[in-house]
Amino acid sequence: MSDPIPVEDSGAGALRVPDLSAIPDEPPDEILYQHRVNLVESVKLLWDHREIIYTLAERDFRAQYKQATLGIMWAVLSPVATLAIFVIVFSRVKAFPHQGIPYALYAFVGILCWSFFASSVGSGGSSLLTNKALLAKTQFPRECFPLETMLVNALNTVLSWVPLAVLFVIFGRAPKLATLWVPLFMLIEIAFAAGVMLAFSSLIIQMRDLVQVLPILLSLGIFMTPVIWPFSYIPSHYHVVGGFYVDLQWVYGFFNPLGPVISNLRATMLLGHNPTWGPLIAAMCGCAAYLALGFRIFKRLEVNFADVA
Amino acid sequence: MPTLPDGTIRVDNVWKKFRADRTKPLFYDQLQRIRKSVRSGAPEYRWVLKDVDLEVEPGGSLALIGINGSGKTTLLKILSKVTYQTAGSVQVQGRIGALLSVTAGLHPDLTGRENVFLYGAVLGMGRDNIRKKFDTIVEFADLTDAIDRQVKFFSTGMQMRLGFAIAAYLEPDVLLVDEVLSVGDANFQQKCLARIDEVVRGGTTLLYVSHDLASVEAACEKAVWLSDAVVRASGPSKDVVTMYRTAVEKNATLLSNKEGAVQVLKADIRAADGGQLRSECETEVSLTLTAPEGAEASYYIGISQGTAFPMFVVSHQAWMPAGEFEVKCRLGYLPLPKGHYSLWVAVTGFPKGQRDAYLQWQPLVSFDAFGPQRRNPPEGVMVLSPIHVGAEWQIS
Repeated sequence: MSDPIPVEDSGAGALRVPDLSAIPDEPPDEILYQHRVNLVESVKLLWDHREIIYTLAERDFRAQYKQATLGIMWAVLSPVATLAIFVIVFSRVKAFPHQGIPYALYAFVGILCWSFFASSVGSGGSSLLTNKALLAKTQFPRECFPLETMLVNALNTVLSWVPLAVLFVIFGRAPKLATLWVPLFMLIEIAFAAGVMLAFSSLIIQMRDLVQVLPILLSLGIFMTPVIWPFSYIPSHYHVVGGFYVDLQWVYGFFNPLGPVISNLRATMLLGHNPTWGPLIAAMCGCAAYLALGFRIFKRLEVNFADVA
Repeated sequence: MPTLPDGTIRVDNVWKKFRADRTKPLFYDQLQRIRKSVRSGAPEYRWVLKDVDLEVEPGGSLALIGINGSGKTTLLKILSKVTYQTAGSVQVQGRIGALLSVTAGLHPDLTGRENVFLYGAVLGMGRDNIRKKFDTIVEFADLTDAIDRQVKFFSTGMQMRLGFAIAAYLEPDVLLVDEVLSVGDANFQQKCLARIDEVVRGGTTLLYVSHDLASVEAACEKAVWLSDAVVRASGPSKDVVTMYRTAVEKNATLLSNKEGAVQVLKADIRAADGGQLRSECETEVSLTLTAPEGAEASYYIGISQGTAFPMFVVSHQAWMPAGEFEVKCRLGYLPLPKGHYSLWVAVTGFPKGQRDAYLQWQPLVSFDAFGPQRRNPPEGVMVLSPIHVGAEWQIS
C-alpha cells in the first residue's frame, strides 16, 4: 500500500487512512500465492494431528450406533447379511470353482476385503461434504476427514472378523500358518483405498455430480474384482501378437490391487499356500501409484476446499 | 523470511478473489456463463480483499470492523489457514486458536462431555489438556447439570455457551475470534469479554471481528476498518470506530432521504442559553417541517453515536398542521460526555394503527458536545451507550 497519511497521534499509534486510489485493479503477478506442498512436512503435520483423526473417528463411530436399538451389533450383522445373500445366490449355481473351500468362507473373505474398500471410498469420498461445517470453520490438515472415515470403516471391518471366526468354527477349520502374511495384504489394501479415497473426496467437493456417480462405480467394481469369482479366471499367460506373452494377472494387479490381495488372502489363510509374489508386487506398485496420485490431487485441490464447500 | 516472535500476525498485500457466481452449478447455467464471458469478456470473479496490510505485535489486540460482506471473515479464514489468499503473504507465528464459529464442531448426537473432547481436539487442544481443564470449562459454560445429555437436547444458547467455553480455554499464541459474542445472555457475554481480556493479558494476541462497536472498544486497543475489500482506516480502536460511525451515519442519511409525506426544511440543536452545547446544559431542538395535510402525529427525537440505535429518545403526540410548521423540544439536561453525536428524528401517524411513517427515522444533524471525557469502565467491560452522568463521590 502506498504511503499512509498519518492523521492524529495517540497512545496506540497513529490513525492511518490509506490512499485508496493507489490500489491497483489486480495484484502484481510476483506476489500471487503459490501453494507449495512438501510431502515430508505434510506427513509430519498429519502425524501431529493424529489425535484429531482418532477423535473424529470416535465421534462418527459413537454417533453411527448411538441411535440404533441394536447398536454396535450392526457392524457384525451387515456383512453377515451380505454373505447370506451371496451364499443363497451363488453357492447353488456352482459356477465358480472354489478349491474345496466351503463357499461361504471363500466368499466371506472376499466380501470383507471388498466392503472395507467400498465403504472407505464411499463414505470417505463424501467426507469433506459431510464435514462441511468443520471444513469451513476449523483449521487442521484436510486429509484428517477422509482418513478419519477410513479409520471408522477399519473398526467396523475388524468387528466383522467376529462372524469370520464363527464361520471357521462352523466349518471345522482353522486359519493356516500362512495367515501371518495377512497384515501385508491389509497394508496394500489400505494404501489403495486411501489413494482412491483422497482423489474422490477432493474431486467430489468440486463437482457434486460425482456423489451420484461413485455408488454406480462401486457397484460395478464388486463384479470386476474377484469377490465372487476366483482370481485364476484371469489368464497368467496371455498371448499377444508378435510372439510375446503378457502376464495379465500382473497387469490386473497393478490397476486393481484388490485382485491379488483377495486371492492371496484366500490362498494363505484358507489353503496355507505361500503368497504368489508376481501379482502381489504389481499390486504394491499399483497401490503406491494410486496413493501418490490421490495425494497429489488432494493437495492440488485443497486450496479452495473452504471456498467451494 | 526472518522468523517473528510467537504471537505476531503479519499480513502484507493480501488479495483474495471469489468466483462471482457460485450458486448455479447446473449444466445449462454453466453453458450460459461460458457464453456470456466469451461475449462480454467481463471478469468472472470479484475481489473480497484488495491489498490488505495489517500487523499485530505479540500480546496486542486488533479488531476488524466493517459492514457485512466487507471481507472481515475471509481475512480471518486466511489467517487461520482455513482458506488461502490469492496473492500476498500471511504470517501467523505460533499456535493459532481460531474461533470462527461457536457451534461448528459440536455433534448433535453426542453428549456434552463427548463434545468437549471432540471440539477441544478439533480446535487443537490435546486430550490430556482437555481432561485437566474439563471442570473449568463446564463450570464456565454453566452446564454442570446438562453435560451428560446429548447436545441436540441443548438449547441454542447452551450449545453456544459450550462452544465458547471450550475455545476460551485453548490458550493459543494467537486467538482469532469471529463474531461470537452474540452468545447467550448479557451475563454470559460479559463473562466472555472478561475471559477474552484475561487471555489477552496473559500474553495472547487477539484478532477480533465484531459488529458490536462497544465490545470492540472494550476488547481491543487497535482496529482496522474494512470496507468493500480494502482497508479504509487503521489505528487506535477509538479513532477508527469514530471514523466508521461517521461513515455509517452518512450512509444512513443517503438511504433515508427518500420521499416521505413530511419534508425537513431546517433542523437544529443548540444550547438554550445560546452558548456551546455542553454536558448537563439545557438544550433546545428545533425543526422546521412541511406536511401536505393535517393529521394526528407522534414526534420522536433521539440522539445516537454512529448507529441507528439511539442512546435515548423523547417523544410527543400532537396535531400536525398542514403546510410549514415548527417543532420545538427543550431537553432539560444533556446527558452526554464530550464527543460527536447525531440527532435522529421521526414523525409517524397516531394512533399507532396508522403504520406509515410521515418521516422515517433518520439522522438530520450531527453535532459536537463539549464537557468532561467519558469515564472508562474497568477493563474488558462494555459500555452500551456513552451517557454522561454527573456524580459527586464521597468515600469515607
